[in-house]
Amino acid sequence: MMMANDIRPEPSAKTGERLLDVKGLTIEIDTRNGPATIVDGIDLHVNKGETLGIVGESGCGKSLTMLSMMRLLPNKIKVTKGEANFAGRDLQKMSNSDLRKVRGGDVGFIFQDPMTSLNPVMRIGQQLAEPLIYHRGMSKAEARKRAGELLKLVGIPGAEDRLDAYPHELSGGMRQRVMIAIGLACNPQLLIADEPTTALDVTIQAQIVDLVKDLRDKLGMSVVWITHDLALIAGLVDRINVLYAGTVVEDAPVDALFANPSHPYTQGLLASIPKLSDERSTRLSSIGGTPPEPGRRPKGCPFAPRCPLAEAICHERVPSLEGLGQNGAHRVACFVAQRKLEAA
Amino acid sequence: MSVVPMPGTAAEIEPPVSLWRDAWHRLRRNKLAVFGLAVVVILAFTALFGPYLTPYDFLSQDLNSRNLAPSLSHLFGTDDLGRDVFSRVVYGTRTAFLVAIVVTFIAVVIGVTLGALAGFFGGWLDRIVMWLTDMTMSIPNLLLVVVINASLKSPITSWMESRYLATLNPVYRETIWVDFLLVFGSMALISWPPYARLVRAQVLSIRSRPYITAAQALGLTNRIILMRYVVPNALGPLIVAVSAGLGTAMVLESAFSFLGVGVNPPTPSWGNMISDGLRVWQHYPHLLAAPAAVLGLASVAFSFLGDGLNDALNPRGAK
Repeated sequence: MMMANDIRPEPSAKTGERLLDVKGLTIEIDTRNGPATIVDGIDLHVNKGETLGIVGESGCGKSLTMLSMMRLLPNKIKVTKGEANFAGRDLQKMSNSDLRKVRGGDVGFIFQDPMTSLNPVMRIGQQLAEPLIYHRGMSKAEARKRAGELLKLVGIPGAEDRLDAYPHELSGGMRQRVMIAIGLACNPQLLIADEPTTALDVTIQAQIVDLVKDLRDKLGMSVVWITHDLALIAGLVDRINVLYAGTVVEDAPVDALFANPSHPYTQGLLASIPKLSDERSTRLSSIGGTPPEPGRRPKGCPFAPRCPLAEAICHERVPSLEGLGQNGAHRVACFVAQRKLEAA
Repeated sequence: MSVVPMPGTAAEIEPPVSLWRDAWHRLRRNKLAVFGLAVVVILAFTALFGPYLTPYDFLSQDLNSRNLAPSLSHLFGTDDLGRDVFSRVVYGTRTAFLVAIVVTFIAVVIGVTLGALAGFFGGWLDRIVMWLTDMTMSIPNLLLVVVINASLKSPITSWMESRYLATLNPVYRETIWVDFLLVFGSMALISWPPYARLVRAQVLSIRSRPYITAAQALGLTNRIILMRYVVPNALGPLIVAVSAGLGTAMVLESAFSFLGVGVNPPTPSWGNMISDGLRVWQHYPHLLAAPAAVLGLASVAFSFLGDGLNDALNPRGAK
């Protein structure tokens, strides 16, 4: 396969160079009552060859951060501060034509809903060929051949015959495979998967996760996987960032996060995953309350109003993300967790 | 033992059905739409070939057989100059189609371009386009066309005549084009706003669909997204509107001919035939009935076809 020949960083470089480095990104939305902050100075990064999971409940700014980073959101939503460096260049300052080369060319996207994310009046093969013709300057015949290979790569049976199908002739799982093939068409360095399994049923979800895992290993790209389902991505990602109200509250290698969840919000998320060993009568655990609305962010820690461990200081000051332990790979933004560790 | 096909495998084997073929199947099941389509096809055929097949020339006069009632030799009778009404109605079909197609084409090109740009880019462009459409729609149609024709026709014609006398260039000799240009131009001018509004509304709703964001995430240019993702998805309602619009344009042309600002005699148009027939309808009703019936039939046929297309192209609305 053509793709494997490309020069890719070795998986051992996971701790090394940052491919994506978001610093202090602040995103505001224009409302009737003036601008409201949705994402407040978020910091996150993805190393070359690394898979990052971004986890949080609905409306905490997961997709928003990724989409606005690529300037894919409507004019009402604006990045007001901060930078998002991709391979050393700030996406926020880039010209539109440079940004278009990054989109689709270097950064592939997979979206949440495969039912509506494909153009209903265009054949699958054409939709796959579009980025190849545009970014790679392929002829129509070359692009079609490559499109067939891509469909085979994502495991669509009878790939070549499917090129002339319209999206409505495929099942949801097949469409998501097509979306993945489109995202991968130009052999991107980074694949952003925005809740790609939410609209699919459980057996298909696992297939899609396995497929992306397989392709990542084959092609050596970095992946950002946005989800609210911690359990789903446990076997896929290297590192997890837990987002709450537009800030990273915990950043940890996947094993460390499951072994030692430190932020009360992460603990709450993990506790709310039902276990097979639970008794039938066990009530599902949940976190009371809802995330703050944009424009009504609390003064201190954004999670404080819902936090079972909140103290006076939590309502006064915003905790910063501090490393726990010796190497500082596990970081948490919580006064209580940080103090506990110092005491230990 | 009977072989039961496994569910799910049928879809694997079946050849891909395109949206258009699917729509065609649905259209064929709709009786009114099939009627409309048949009438439109017959009229189109008449417009193309009819003038070569009629027994009489539409201009030849026979003053010995004036105002004859319909008979076998003159299907729709003859008019006050002894011209065969059937031949004139047939030739009028050509005029009606010519006007309807040219006018609708110009109106659709203007409307789709402005509407798509306004809907896609929004902002000041949208405001200007909407302001233009509102302004155009607020002016009474007939008045605008009458004013344009009355005020522009004679100055342009006399300018061309003076140019011809000065240069002897044959380009300036044929002033019949001015007539057509003004009729087409002024009708297109009043016909584009509904298309612009329709397309703008479509584009506004399509612009926020996930596949547009997905296309942007692929790094495609606005031009490609507009041409290949937005406009094709807005096409269904537009086709319906065009089908109905063709009928409307025919009626409009007749209205203008009736008022004397449409296609000029001796070119037969249903409108000026109706206008002539109306003066003597108490004595020779066939002179009014023939062109009016054909115009009505054409208008109804286009409208049925439009409705049928609407159902066929909108699978969710059908059944």
